[in-house]
Amino acid sequence: MVAENRKTNFHSSLFSAGTRISLLIFIILALLFLTGCGRKDDTWQRIQKEGVLRVGLDPTFPPFEVTADSDVIGLDADLARALADEMGLQAEFVYFGYDGLYDALATEQVDFLISALVIVPGRMRDFAYSEPYFNAGEILVIPSGSTIDEMAGLSGKRLAVELGAQGHVEATQWAKRLPDLQVLPYPSADEALDAVAAGEADAALVDGVSGRLYLKERSNLDLERVSQTVTVEPYAMVVRIEDETLLAKLDEALSSLTATGELDILIERWLGP
Amino acid sequence: MDYLQNTKTGNGGYRDKGEKVWSRLLGSSARYTRVLARLLLFMILLRLLLPAPILVTIGPQQTVYSDYPITGVHTRLTDEVEEWKIKRTLELVREMGSPWIVEFFPWAYYQGSDGDIAWQHPDQVVNHAHAQGLTIIARLGLTPDWARPPDTPLTYLDEDAYEDFAAFAAAFAARYEGKVDYLVIGNEPNLSYEWGYRPTTAEDYVNLLKVVYPAVKEANPEMQILAGALAPTLEPDGSPWGLNDLQYLTEMYEAGAAPFFDGLAVHAYGLTFPAEADPDPNILNFRRIELVRDVMVVAGDGDKSIFVTETGWNDHPRWTMAVRPGQRIQYTLDALRYAEENWPFVEMMALWAFRYPASTKSYMDYFTLVTPEFVTKPIYDAIKEYTGNGG
Repeated sequence: MVAENRKTNFHSSLFSAGTRISLLIFIILALLFLTGCGRKDDTWQRIQKEGVLRVGLDPTFPPFEVTADSDVIGLDADLARALADEMGLQAEFVYFGYDGLYDALATEQVDFLISALVIVPGRMRDFAYSEPYFNAGEILVIPSGSTIDEMAGLSGKRLAVELGAQGHVEATQWAKRLPDLQVLPYPSADEALDAVAAGEADAALVDGVSGRLYLKERSNLDLERVSQTVTVEPYAMVVRIEDETLLAKLDEALSSLTATGELDILIERWLGP
Repeated sequence: MDYLQNTKTGNGGYRDKGEKVWSRLLGSSARYTRVLARLLLFMILLRLLLPAPILVTIGPQQTVYSDYPITGVHTRLTDEVEEWKIKRTLELVREMGSPWIVEFFPWAYYQGSDGDIAWQHPDQVVNHAHAQGLTIIARLGLTPDWARPPDTPLTYLDEDAYEDFAAFAAAFAARYEGKVDYLVIGNEPNLSYEWGYRPTTAEDYVNLLKVVYPAVKEANPEMQILAGALAPTLEPDGSPWGLNDLQYLTEMYEAGAAPFFDGLAVHAYGLTFPAEADPDPNILNFRRIELVRDVMVVAGDGDKSIFVTETGWNDHPRWTMAVRPGQRIQYTLDALRYAEENWPFVEMMALWAFRYPASTKSYMDYFTLVTPEFVTKPIYDAIKEYTGNGG
């Protein structure tokens, strides 16, 4: 009797358990919907309508972006144009100072950034990064035919670095593991590479951009780089966090350029093989 | 009968319904007990899986050895959570031969609207620094939300809250008597950003000093109050961004600042210039300190010392104000040597910044001497060698 009464009372309360669960689900969905309303993924729609992709960059960093004859040239500029082509769009470049790039993107002055930018985890609340398109990590440059193919193979060798640079920090760490490794600091990356060319050092550890540029500009020298980078410093494009469609389109176009080999051709054009 | 009593008498009815829901979920009370016991066991097992907390002790009292006792660093322990990292950072400072640290202690982080002050973190920093034999210059700033109008930034401090800030500064000075000898009041007040995004005036800042100075001296007469930490800038009168530091300092003296500070904190970055580049009122470089000193002398305040609480060079590959890493090392050593040999009025020079708790992935990382992972950079090793602590 009591049990029956309780059951009756339970079901006759203001809302049944089923109704309450439905209500709860409705509230959660409504909250999710409202949260989504704060940010609209509509940049891609506007781009499609106008046929123009607004690209933000700081044109002061050769060979990635630099102004020449009122135009911008470099790997990033070429890549942006190639991506736009791939998407059937026209790339329009807008210049900003390096420190103002993210602000320009946040205030919707451009659709995305491509400016040799590294991925910054701390910015991922407001921005999203594409797949990386270039690795600017430290590289080993060695005389052609050298058997050195990794840092661990430098025991007993002389390693040239740029004084105080990241390569110097990395080499100093390796010297603790390879006691016979001799680290030779030089005032600049080019001078460290010169030391390898002159036979003063067995290898140089320099940033990927400096090392590749040096090799490109001095192709007569009997030097080569180890293809595997020692550290990883990926460059990626940046969009506003809400622009998921644009990000997907950029990644899709980048993937296509990678598959056809066009990305490698662009990199080789500006940074050598 | 029981049911009627439970459901018809106020909250008892709701309790009863709640029990029924639990009963439906868990079944009989025996099952309920079993579930609870298993949950408890699971929690105990989970707790056992946690690593034991790292034991960090203050350790024996250390002494800093340095051939160049002017050497200092600005640490960034404000955001460092783990105590062992605080200790390790300060050990590295000592081992480098820097007898001084400048550290930021934000009022907004510590004091709630009830007036209580959370001393745990500042205690850790101060006690470890003291044990390492370091002289601490504490920079105080940032206003808690209860002490400023709604929708104002942390850097907003107006006259209504001067007394509250002074009370905090006095409490700080009293608590760390014998361990902290210097307080910097505020930071770069000649910049609008640092003054709550308001037009910045020297008079406002001097009014703050007039309230803070007597309060701190009453709490701890030995505490030295440093004014300023003026930002080097060429902003002209009326600029929304700030005011030229030399003009601002002149106006501070005109507003009667002299009796309300014991020393002047100065920021002096070398930017792209070598350490010994000549000073010029129209450019910003390291030796701008000499122009600041000239203002002090003209104001009849030449007996006071200057404390360079931020200085240094940056070696970011892209930042327009950066130099090459090798230049950064050379300019830094040149600056320490130049100051030691030519500026008897400078007590210390703190390099910005010793180490950040985490990488900023920006040009700011290229100001540091040690990485977040405690890898010392070549500039650290060079300074260590320079102070006689190498090898």
